[in-house]
Amino acid sequence: MSPLSNLRMSEPLFSNSFLARTLRRRSFFRVVGATVATSTLVLAGCNDDNDPTPTSSTPSLTLGSGDNGLLNYAYLLEQLEAAFYQKVVDAFPSDFTAEDKAAFVDLRDHEVIHREFFRYALGTNAYDSAGTSLTFDFSSFTLTTRAGVYAAARTLEDTGVAAYNGAAKLITDVTSLRLLAKIASVEARHAAFVRDQAQPGSFAATDVITASGDAAGLDTAKTPLEVVELIAKFVPATIVASSLPTI
Amino acid sequence: MHFLKLLARLAETDTESLTLTGPRRTALRRLAQAGTAALPAVLTALPQPAVARDSRTVQDVLKLALTLEQLENAFYTQALQQPLSFFGTTENQAAIQTIQGHEQQHVALFTRLLVNAGATLDLTPRFDFTGSKNGAQAALYPDVFTNFDTFLRVAQLLEDTGVRAYKGQVEYIQFDNFLLESAVRAHSVEARHASHIRTMRRQRGATVKSWVSPSDAPIATTGSVAAKAYAGEDSFTQYLAGNNLVPFVDNLPINVAKPPLSQAAILAKVAEAFDEPLDGLTATEVVSLFIY
Repeated sequence: MSPLSNLRMSEPLFSNSFLARTLRRRSFFRVVGATVATSTLVLAGCNDDNDPTPTSSTPSLTLGSGDNGLLNYAYLLEQLEAAFYQKVVDAFPSDFTAEDKAAFVDLRDHEVIHREFFRYALGTNAYDSAGTSLTFDFSSFTLTTRAGVYAAARTLEDTGVAAYNGAAKLITDVTSLRLLAKIASVEARHAAFVRDQAQPGSFAATDVITASGDAAGLDTAKTPLEVVELIAKFVPATIVASSLPTI
Repeated sequence: MHFLKLLARLAETDTESLTLTGPRRTALRRLAQAGTAALPAVLTALPQPAVARDSRTVQDVLKLALTLEQLENAFYTQALQQPLSFFGTTENQAAIQTIQGHEQQHVALFTRLLVNAGATLDLTPRFDFTGSKNGAQAALYPDVFTNFDTFLRVAQLLEDTGVRAYKGQVEYIQFDNFLLESAVRAHSVEARHASHIRTMRRQRGATVKSWVSPSDAPIATTGSVAAKAYAGEDSFTQYLAGNNLVPFVDNLPINVAKPPLSQAAILAKVAEAFDEPLDGLTATEVVSLFIY
């Protein structure tokens, strides 16, 4: 499924008329903010050549700036993880064991708790507080086999760990820093667990833990821009992270 | 410099803080060496100097991290001197080797950071992983290097304590991006180790999840020093800035299981979803079980 078709599926309540769609986008953009979104809208309005490429009509998802921007970033990551685990729990692979199932119910519950925690913390600052919810696109994963599911979980959890490790120095409020650290180590526990299931003994292998040099023995840290690039294929919107802190 | 002298005088007059945190003046000098970025943190740390949590210095943080890593490194190094029969399988042995390698790298990192900051390194502590203080008292774990299950229990205690200890220190180094990022990147490695040790224990029959859960079978006697490593981990209360309690109990739509979980069961999941910090004094107390 293309990101565009996913997005349309997630907007069933609105008329398909061009005017209605445009107005609705306008209000969405006002909430998530932003000049970048407005220019996208203008491009969409000018596009009359039936070009099916999703870029012209893909909405923008603007994370914002400062600590709220970082909390929106964490919120989006937790939404993504929660949606992934819910999808697996809704249709377990046929070769999943009882232990696999119990673990994935735990993982789903943890990520839903993280997601709702950030949604509550953000309140009206949540990028989707107007009610638009995204339907994530997991079509790049194989979710019909145990091996495929664990490989997918490994990708998402390692990304989450690297994202939290990179975000710590960017957050200003000390309470938020403490809370991110409380969640980060749970994500690292998840990552190690799913990695061990995907490949025994790979809980802290050299693809995630630096092997040599000054950062030897340290886990991966990624900037928001690096992470946004990694998760773009799952998200049916253009993620605008350019206002997030960088130092 | 004028107000640094003032701060140093304040520190000298605060005797309670001095006994809790040691050479505060030395650390202040190091903070000054670190540059102006350090100064706001000094200022914010001073209003309540008698409270232990507000009076830790960068040096305290780095020395606690180093001690933790030295302890873990020595623990795994000693285990790796045992024959393969101790581990049972080459996979188990390889996992301990992987973990030991990281601890050794963390020791090197925090040693380097302390030396670069101009600190005088303390002598490496003497360790006794049986908990007998070199025979001075009854051993807590007499078969730690002959019974792999005992070894894994102590490993879990050390790794879970390490995760909590790092988490308790991040706020004291928040002003220094490099130190903070180094610490959180070591923190998540400890969490990966803890998860793997827990998975190994579960595969050997222990009732324990890969994440800290109220449903884990306790590995420490109630009221013991080791039990302090887990005290408070079962909390399901989280506060945002401004003492704003996150309403997991009443309001948030977190109970998505079909059929829904009991309230006790969903709150146990909340406890699992957040690891809790451990303050420096308590972390030191747990670590001291193995130091003589």
